[in-house]
Amino acid sequence: MGTGAELTQIIDGCKSGDAECFAQVVDLYGPRCYGYFYRLTGDRDLIDELLSELFMKLVEKIASYKGGSFESWLFRIASNIFHDHLRGRKRQKKLVEGRRAELELRPVEAAQSDLTPDKADRLQTQLSRLDADTRDLIVLRYYSELSFKEIAEMRSEPLGTALSKLHRGLKKLRELMEG
Amino acid sequence: MRDRNYDELRELLTRFTDSSDAGSTERDIRAGDSLFDMHPAPQAAPETLATIKRRISVRLGMPRRHTHPLYRYVGAAAAVIAMALIGFFGRSAPEQPRVSYASLIPAAIWDSDDLVSDDAELAYFRSELRHIETQMQALEAGDGELVAAGSLDEVELELIRIDTQFWKE
Repeated sequence: MGTGAELTQIIDGCKSGDAECFAQVVDLYGPRCYGYFYRLTGDRDLIDELLSELFMKLVEKIASYKGGSFESWLFRIASNIFHDHLRGRKRQKKLVEGRRAELELRPVEAAQSDLTPDKADRLQTQLSRLDADTRDLIVLRYYSELSFKEIAEMRSEPLGTALSKLHRGLKKLRELMEG
Repeated sequence: MRDRNYDELRELLTRFTDSSDAGSTERDIRAGDSLFDMHPAPQAAPETLATIKRRISVRLGMPRRHTHPLYRYVGAAAAVIAMALIGFFGRSAPEQPRVSYASLIPAAIWDSDDLVSDDAELAYFRSELRHIETQMQALEAGDGELVAAGSLDEVELELIRIDTQFWKE
């Protein structure tokens, strides 16, 4: 990861529309954001879509970045994109169910999980057994490398609450992995 | 996980928990973190990142659409003239059947006091618009894959669905 001064230079380049600087941001943050989306969704095709949307959003919004932690700003956008996706998914489900009722079709095989984890990845399987909020918190902290203060602020949550949720979540995850 | 985060963690734990609990909580959190270190997520494929960079270049290369000031003045003048004509001739014209336009936001939201549910509905609405916006931008950028996959039809279908189904619920 580049130093603060290097990053500032890259971001200035992005603000002036330099494609090369955006490419550097993609190289710097793409892998971590990929990991973040992967641990939240477990669906590789979807991750590509979300990752692409994230960086296109970055191009669109870079002018509004006024300093402070760039990681915090970027992961906030990533988190919003993921939550928008979840809402869209719920909406789609609602539409499909409506359509199905309309056509009097038989329900398709058992409710599929919102997550389609990679079968080989045990951590992914156990993560998907945690509630969505805890999973989001754990994954966000690990991949964004933000401080607790930044995470609590991003989630509009008291620091103590975020800390205790994380503790409980990680402990539960470890039990699931050991079980 | 960077060390500075553990320094902060230690400091917070001493603030929020007893010193005896702080140690065990820190151990639990570190053990949880190490699970992620032991099970790294797959790497992004180089093609994925290359595709994103290509799309960014295309987006940056897209000419911005500026309306010439002259067109704006002509448009404004035409609107004023049209309104004046409607006002003048409209009085003597026979009464036309009233046309009502459906609001984009379902009426139920305005009548409801259930803020939580309304917020969710509005959030769906916003995400719907963002989704369509992204699709339109991809089409404008001439993304071959999307166009080939019939995205234009999908966008159209999406709009029809919104119009006919979702917002009537």
